[in-house]
Amino acid sequence: MPAQRPWQLGGQILEGALLGRRDDGGGAGAGVRALEPFGARPGARFCLAPGVLSLPARSGIRGPARPGGSQPCRRFLSVSAMPAVLGFEGSANKIGVGVVRDGAVLANPRRTYVTPPGTGFLPGDTARHHRAVILDLLQEALTEAGLTSQDIDCIAYTKGPGMGAPLVSVAVVARTVAQLWNKPLLGVNHCIGHIEMGRLITGATSPTVLYVSGGNTQVIAYSEHRYRIFGETIDIAVGNCLDRFARVLKISNDPSPGYNIEQMAKRGKKLVELPYTVKGMDVSFSGILSFIEDVAQRMLATGECTPEDLCFSLQETVFAMLVEITERAMAHCGSQEALIVGGVGCNLRLQEMMETMCQERGARLFATDERFCIDNGAMIAQAGWEMFRAGHRTPLSDSGITQRYRTDEVEVTWRD
Amino acid sequence: MLAAGADAGAGGGAGAADDGADGQDRRGGRGGPGFPGGAGEAAAAAAGRARPVSRARHVPEPGGDAAATTGRRETRRHGFALCVPFPSCLEAEIACGSLAPDAEPHRKAVEKQLTVSGSVLAVRWRAEDPRLLRISVLNFLDHLSLVMRTMRRFGPPISR
Repeated sequence: MPAQRPWQLGGQILEGALLGRRDDGGGAGAGVRALEPFGARPGARFCLAPGVLSLPARSGIRGPARPGGSQPCRRFLSVSAMPAVLGFEGSANKIGVGVVRDGAVLANPRRTYVTPPGTGFLPGDTARHHRAVILDLLQEALTEAGLTSQDIDCIAYTKGPGMGAPLVSVAVVARTVAQLWNKPLLGVNHCIGHIEMGRLITGATSPTVLYVSGGNTQVIAYSEHRYRIFGETIDIAVGNCLDRFARVLKISNDPSPGYNIEQMAKRGKKLVELPYTVKGMDVSFSGILSFIEDVAQRMLATGECTPEDLCFSLQETVFAMLVEITERAMAHCGSQEALIVGGVGCNLRLQEMMETMCQERGARLFATDERFCIDNGAMIAQAGWEMFRAGHRTPLSDSGITQRYRTDEVEVTWRD
Repeated sequence: MLAAGADAGAGGGAGAADDGADGQDRRGGRGGPGFPGGAGEAAAAAAGRARPVSRARHVPEPGGDAAATTGRRETRRHGFALCVPFPSCLEAEIACGSLAPDAEPHRKAVEKQLTVSGSVLAVRWRAEDPRLLRISVLNFLDHLSLVMRTMRRFGPPISR
């Protein structure tokens, strides 16, 4: 496992907890317990061990002060004042159940449905996988958090966007436990889950967000109660491009195709020229994908380049495009912070390129580690926690999942 | 256990009968989402002639003109009914609450209705395509099974 970079947070405080673990166990229990001996600075979400990067103390950023919110001791004493939210996530091939209470991730177990090399995951099979493991995950989450059903104040789940059958399988369980335990239900936008978890973990105040995953590619900035989309892909997501390219080369999907492309790219020596398709504030990847699929057949047959060279070239091209549109949005907003979220955000080369751009602009880069970059239940719980405190509720009749759900459709009442 | 009945067009209850002269008016009246003009359709169907009927708000849909001339084919001739008993009314309501909110993927071709009477969850399907009907029923059964496993493992329901 590569060393953590200075701008990566959510991992520094854990001794060796992340080393070698790439998936299945986005648990943060150890991380939270490690905080207590050091005490909580008022308003700070994390306290770091001496010698590690410190976060600026943040107070009042989350909106109206809540009773006892700035008192470090009371934070850990009064349970009833702190809502605990259970979050269910399963919009793609990862299924996770998380528990968040007052900015602390108490549990975050996850499973990934991995298909053989050369294949992708289909909705029906993915849903079947989720149905098979979700109840065990739920039990794991409650046990790890040390909570019973009655300690949970709200049930959050991914309402969308994502794949239909997996979304339904998870929503059905969320609705059932909400009714069984007589708790309010909250349908959460998956993209907003990523953003809220990124904000929580890194402490970024108002960053320009690059949200990149297998299903989504958007540049987002917060303005007047909406997460506004400044730029996005006009066809497929960058992660989708990488995943489908991995299939062509029959690269393993374990732990994820993107991770394996990243490792191969490190051994690439030759830059193959690929189309560079930035369209103003937006990007396009389907042309690059068809081009590289074509090139792969030809060049590998003639020995003109290696698969590693192709991985390297694809990454360099698509990541440069993402850096460009993020920089453009930052310039528009006059933003001094950038935050990368989503599964592709785990990629260290992307983080490196973004950091170079940020340094040139005098901006700060924030990123999280694979526990929170990759789809997980705690991010849904965190977004649900914010929404719950702001008074949002999802009645059963409105709780249907939706495969298309724009990030700017949600009114972000929990921020100023 | 589950009681399931598959009826090919001869179901009971309001609005269920689809064939025969009696059915024509109702069929014309109900139609699908693309056929808002109930009275006009019924008249056309009753006239028994396969000619395009102009409607006030015609919404073109795939094979729209063909559908106008083949009134019988686009209606939902296939049905399926399921009765699922639960140990209590509350559990039947919970199951209904969990399974009802998500829309069918092929809304125009398949529709289902969930109702609770006593401690029984009753589900009725109507579909024009037997393959889509089968897929919908199988998916429903998968999710029903998941709901039941959830209730068994994390129930019983908290008393209100």
